[in-house]
Amino acid sequence: VSSRTLATARPGLWMVRARRFAQGIFLLLFLSLFWSARDTGQAASGWLHVFFDLDPLVLLATWLSTQTLAGLSLLAVVTILVTVALGRVFCGWFCPLGTIHQMVTAVRPRLRRVRVGSEGFSPWQRGKYLILVGLLLMALVGAHWIGVLDPLAFLYRSLTTTVLPAGQLAVEEGATTIYRTDPHLGPLHLTALSEPVYRFLRDHLFLTARQAFSGGGLLWLLLLLALGLNIVRPRFWCRYLCPLGGLLGLCAGRTLLRLRQDADACDGCGLCRVSCPAAAQPDQPGRWLAQECFGCWNCVKACRQGALGFAFTPPWRRPQATGVDLRKRAVLGAAAGGLGAFVLLRLPPQAQGRLFRPDLIRPPGSRPEREFLQRCLQCDMCLKSCPTNVLQPAWTEAGLEGLWTPVLKPCFGWCEYECNLCGQVCPTGAIAPLPLTEKKQVHVGLAVIDTTRCLPYAYARECIVCEEHCPIPDKAILFVQTQVRLPDGGVRTLKQPRVDPDLCTGCGICENKCVFKDRPAIRITSAGETRHPGNQPILPGAVGGYGYG
Amino acid sequence: MGDQTRREFLELALMLGGTLALPPALRAGAEPGRATDNGVAAAARPAGAAGAADGAVPCQLAIARWQTAGAAGDENRRTALALEPQVASRLTETSLAMLGGMSRFVGRGDIVWIKPNIAWNRRPELGATTHPEVVSTLVRLCLEAGAKKVKVGDHTCHDPRQSYVTSGIAAAASAAGAEVVYLDDNRYRQMEIGGRRIKRWLLYPEIIESDLVINVPVAKHHGLSMASVCMKNYMGVIGGQVSAWHQGLPDCLCDITAFMKPRLCVVDAVRALVRHGPTGGNPADVDAPLAVAAGSDPVALDAWGAELLGLHPEQVRTIVAGQQAGLGTADYRSLPLREQHVS
Repeated sequence: VSSRTLATARPGLWMVRARRFAQGIFLLLFLSLFWSARDTGQAASGWLHVFFDLDPLVLLATWLSTQTLAGLSLLAVVTILVTVALGRVFCGWFCPLGTIHQMVTAVRPRLRRVRVGSEGFSPWQRGKYLILVGLLLMALVGAHWIGVLDPLAFLYRSLTTTVLPAGQLAVEEGATTIYRTDPHLGPLHLTALSEPVYRFLRDHLFLTARQAFSGGGLLWLLLLLALGLNIVRPRFWCRYLCPLGGLLGLCAGRTLLRLRQDADACDGCGLCRVSCPAAAQPDQPGRWLAQECFGCWNCVKACRQGALGFAFTPPWRRPQATGVDLRKRAVLGAAAGGLGAFVLLRLPPQAQGRLFRPDLIRPPGSRPEREFLQRCLQCDMCLKSCPTNVLQPAWTEAGLEGLWTPVLKPCFGWCEYECNLCGQVCPTGAIAPLPLTEKKQVHVGLAVIDTTRCLPYAYARECIVCEEHCPIPDKAILFVQTQVRLPDGGVRTLKQPRVDPDLCTGCGICENKCVFKDRPAIRITSAGETRHPGNQPILPGAVGGYGYG
Repeated sequence: MGDQTRREFLELALMLGGTLALPPALRAGAEPGRATDNGVAAAARPAGAAGAADGAVPCQLAIARWQTAGAAGDENRRTALALEPQVASRLTETSLAMLGGMSRFVGRGDIVWIKPNIAWNRRPELGATTHPEVVSTLVRLCLEAGAKKVKVGDHTCHDPRQSYVTSGIAAAASAAGAEVVYLDDNRYRQMEIGGRRIKRWLLYPEIIESDLVINVPVAKHHGLSMASVCMKNYMGVIGGQVSAWHQGLPDCLCDITAFMKPRLCVVDAVRALVRHGPTGGNPADVDAPLAVAAGSDPVALDAWGAELLGLHPEQVRTIVAGQQAGLGTADYRSLPLREQHVS
């Protein structure tokens, strides 16, 4: 090792260290904001969705689909400006999903032999730009589906629906198993160790009741797939799939900070090529791909000849490489694909607003369905912060267009009367941030009594648990004292529940607490939801307002 | 082993002696709880009852009322007073003092479970949950009486993380030195209750295994049972399909009350939710009787609470059933009763 090598290797080394440090910090920040998105008894901080605010894909797609900037953060413009100046450092230094992919990639050599000089640029990397084109075209015609592949939404959703519940389940079940078996283990008191650890994790890490999400297993598989693809190619997601990476790549084409490749010093060893997670061709002088590069400095660090380094270049100087050739036909194909997907999503009558599904119950403050879908990111931040777990990712309720958007499923919980958190945390205003007093007025649906199951109606037994739990101060569930004939000829006076449709907000606590757990005898349906004038079966106002009955 | 036998013998002797020394009407209430007391507690407890013969009896039912100028006249003033922490605190202290002090119930080194009503995510002024100040005062009194640890917890209907905080009970109790326990769904255990209707049910062992459970309900209206006071509050120690109990509430409540063997109940009637219970939510439905009653007879206390809510005890089926089951007397005025006005 010559002294020259050491001297020139240093800047790369320090930049890589700085980059790793930044990645760690931003990942921790993302996780701590994720951890903070829960009911704390105080108003939710506006910082909770700052990562989504910084995401230009969210801004662009939501602007295209809603044709308004109302309710959107313009912070993402900063990301664009940074990308124009420095390249895709968002991907290399900031993106928490990118960091996780990078961490998985780090174990890759242990799982798979990587030959020096292999795995260079692949034309398939064009895929992310085409996905971007397709998704943006869908947004333009009104279907907002970027959340399915937006990296931040993907990560948030995966953490919410799978990673956190799985971790919490493991800890709780483990501690409970030890707690139960401890008395049978004789002098070996495992609880002396397990209980303090469990309590600490419960009181300082988890803090909320464990959540569970329908279809969580499938989302878990998707996360495993996304992480596993790193074995096939380093940062597979970022290279081939990520639409945000595509958008930033398009902005980075004429970045100011460019890789300086010294062809004379290069000995063609190919180490830079192996170390490049983006396959941006640092090894081919004059053919470095600015739109692919994450600005991670790995290549500079790897180069033993000191042939590589980043330098600022005036914007008017054209990059030497022509960049990724997107090919007109492919772009047109992607656009056509986007339109095709749009038609597919909108084909069902429900997506055209021609029918209302009873189980499509949206969080309070949700915009009318079409507008809701044009904003919802499927990030599932509302699911994470919901204190009762009633918010669940939709699979079929909202059609394919509304995949993983939040719906209320009262078998999991109920819409807490004193809570408006989902609207406060929503990054795009799909759920309006209503003040608590206004939120209490919003009807998300209506309780309907099934008299073929309800105990006082069907079995002549006392119950009215629904009335007990109804949180409306004046009670939206009333009861009528009724004389019921019994089979033996006797008569029993029972309190039979009745719903006041003017007062019922459809919060669902009655359905949740009903003694029938398989199919509750009182159920919430979307009828009467405030957001849809077309879904109002019952004329509001008391019967006989003028005294005519 | 020998120590154990001696303690048991002492307890039995004191129990029998104490009980026999009392007039018959008192016996039901003087029945001691479960035999988990240590020597000090056992000695201290029946001493008060044994004193009955001397005439310096701590009463059976103690009612402390706040003395308001112009009696019941100024409703606004009463409602405002109900929010004052020292009102609830003084009422609680007075009622316990009339009963003979907390040391009658708590022995040195005891673990005490205070069981307020924290069922709902409601602010204290709405009267759906126990007044936080009543709870914190009891915590303080228990610790002063020598309790090793005081735990506060309830099975909630709403999310406990919200109810505990919104009700003000978590903050007040932990400030007073109690351990605020969030009941863990995994830790309920099937136990023999041996009641007429309920034979076995899921109970929370940590509560049952405490040396003393202080039942601290808030007096309020309830749609099905009309009044929710002491007996109804015991539903907070059970888990599982809690709501199924509505199908035979009086029977089930008698079974759980008999199982819990009440030794000390403190009824918070600083405020009382008189309509739209048990959840309420409208300040207009909240009355302010400014009273706290304490005793060991849950039926008597329920009857007293029902009257505060404007009901006749006969109207409340739980009270009628409780009396029939021998858990106490609905005619609370027949008990040695003391009433004191506090100001």
